Amino acid sequence: MSLLVIEDLSVAYGQIEALRGVSLTVESGEVVAILGANGAGKTTLMRAISGLLPKRRGAVRFDGTDITRAPADRIVCLGIAQSPEGRRVFGTLKVEENLALGGFTRSAHEIRQGLETVFGMFPRLAERRDQLAGTLSGGEQQMLAIGRALLARPKLLLLDEPSLGLAPIMVQSIFRSLREIAASGVTVLIVEQNVRSALKLADRGYVLEVGRIVHEDSAARLLASPEVQAAYLGKAHT
Amino acid sequence: MPGISPSRSAPKSPARASRALWPLLWVAGLTVPAVLDSSWVSIAAMFAIYAVSALSEDVILGRGGMFDMGHAVYFGVGAYATAILNTSFGWPILATLPAAVLLAAAAGALLAGPLTRLRGDYLLVATIGFNSIFVLTMQNDPGGVTGGSDGITGIGVPSLFGFPLASQSAMFWLDWVVLGIVLLLMRNLDRSEFGRAQRYLKQDELAAGTLGVDARKVKTQAFALGAGLAGLAGTLFAVQLSTVSPASFVFTESVTLFAVVIVGGPGSVPGVLLGTALMFVVPQIFRDFAQYRYFVFGIAMIAVMVLRPQGLWPQRRRRA
Repeated sequence: MSLLVIEDLSVAYGQIEALRGVSLTVESGEVVAILGANGAGKTTLMRAISGLLPKRRGAVRFDGTDITRAPADRIVCLGIAQSPEGRRVFGTLKVEENLALGGFTRSAHEIRQGLETVFGMFPRLAERRDQLAGTLSGGEQQMLAIGRALLARPKLLLLDEPSLGLAPIMVQSIFRSLREIAASGVTVLIVEQNVRSALKLADRGYVLEVGRIVHEDSAARLLASPEVQAAYLGKAHT
Repeated sequence: MPGISPSRSAPKSPARASRALWPLLWVAGLTVPAVLDSSWVSIAAMFAIYAVSALSEDVILGRGGMFDMGHAVYFGVGAYATAILNTSFGWPILATLPAAVLLAAAAGALLAGPLTRLRGDYLLVATIGFNSIFVLTMQNDPGGVTGGSDGITGIGVPSLFGFPLASQSAMFWLDWVVLGIVLLLMRNLDRSEFGRAQRYLKQDELAAGTLGVDARKVKTQAFALGAGLAGLAGTLFAVQLSTVSPASFVFTESVTLFAVVIVGGPGSVPGVLLGTALMFVVPQIFRDFAQYRYFVFGIAMIAVMVLRPQGLWPQRRRRA
């Protein structure tokens, strides 16, 4: 049984349909990448999965449970956590408080365990645990946003543009950590504009264009495909 | 979240000093009837009542970040509940108190239904609408129980174990004790899961949503709690004046409560108390100039918003 099944999902902002009949599956333990240009509907898809946007049509099932109409807080409790686009850390709270907040649905004991895990994974956060999150660099804030999502102990981690606005060296470091997270058994669904990094991390990928899935393949084949290369990797058709 | 970091548990001494200061100030307040004349006692009683009311507005506006410009409704529901149950149904005053709190809380939770779907300025306009409806309803005397524009007079005095709290001093002590209880509650609110959820939501609703904070639930609870506390203040208000009328719960009263929180310092208990004192006590001292109250306060509001937008006594940074 697939961990996440999305069938014919449509999401609209008023009259404008941002997603038009998207279907995809994520198997347990997989890393799946969603690729697409600006405005393709990637962030809409992530927010719809998390229950932050109402769905117009279609169904979302997670771990055997229908979550199409479930509220956001219940979806977190069921095991889906999101590191949102633009990081959205709580700037006036300390690093450690931001992380603890990620465990809002968890017990104090689980939060302590989670903090240890995240500090082990991101030593820079451990160094800055008492610093206000607003004073961190962009890359550190991204680590914090990912760490915060991990504190919810998700079975499925949603990552919305983790490389957005980061220096190339920081992107490398973030993706190294993501590889580590995936290796620890967390299933990952990642949305990225940095197609090369995303496909190197992922097992499979979907290409989203103006609200529709137009390609689906293994990450290796997508990386090699002329269409993807032309559209996203800046290489001309050969 | 207790005990996450041992490094933070050692309190700094100024914080400890101020923690000891507040209970002392409250105890000192108890002596007001012994050292000041009766007009001051009634000013102090009104301060306590309006402080409870302003703190209840702070639960929604300051801590919840929801622009509630109709808070006088809940204050009024409490006052009318006490007045009607006492004069028409013969309930003892103290027995009407829980009823007033529950009715006001229920009104808050009910209105939260449509209100929590709205944001910012839209929510504000809707609360103004509710306030107008409330005042009009009271004026039109539904069922012959609200007394129309004249309101209800002859509200009894509370009695405790058979002793009537008829004197100005006894009523002041009742108000002061209620204020003390509400202050304790506000302190605990800061440390509660509900209080934390409110802070997260206020800062970033989307981020809080991705972490499992149920926004609608927390906002509805904020309205119910804020409204319930306002209802409590409403009971005290009805008892203090022994009369209620629609004029006490009009839109401008809501504006005043709103301004007290914003000028004093949203989310800050000392700030809200300071704002209450400035708005309700200072005008009493300069009673001869009372008509300049809004003029002076208006200028003060503009000055504070320009020079000190975080409020006169802002909320200090708290741990999550």
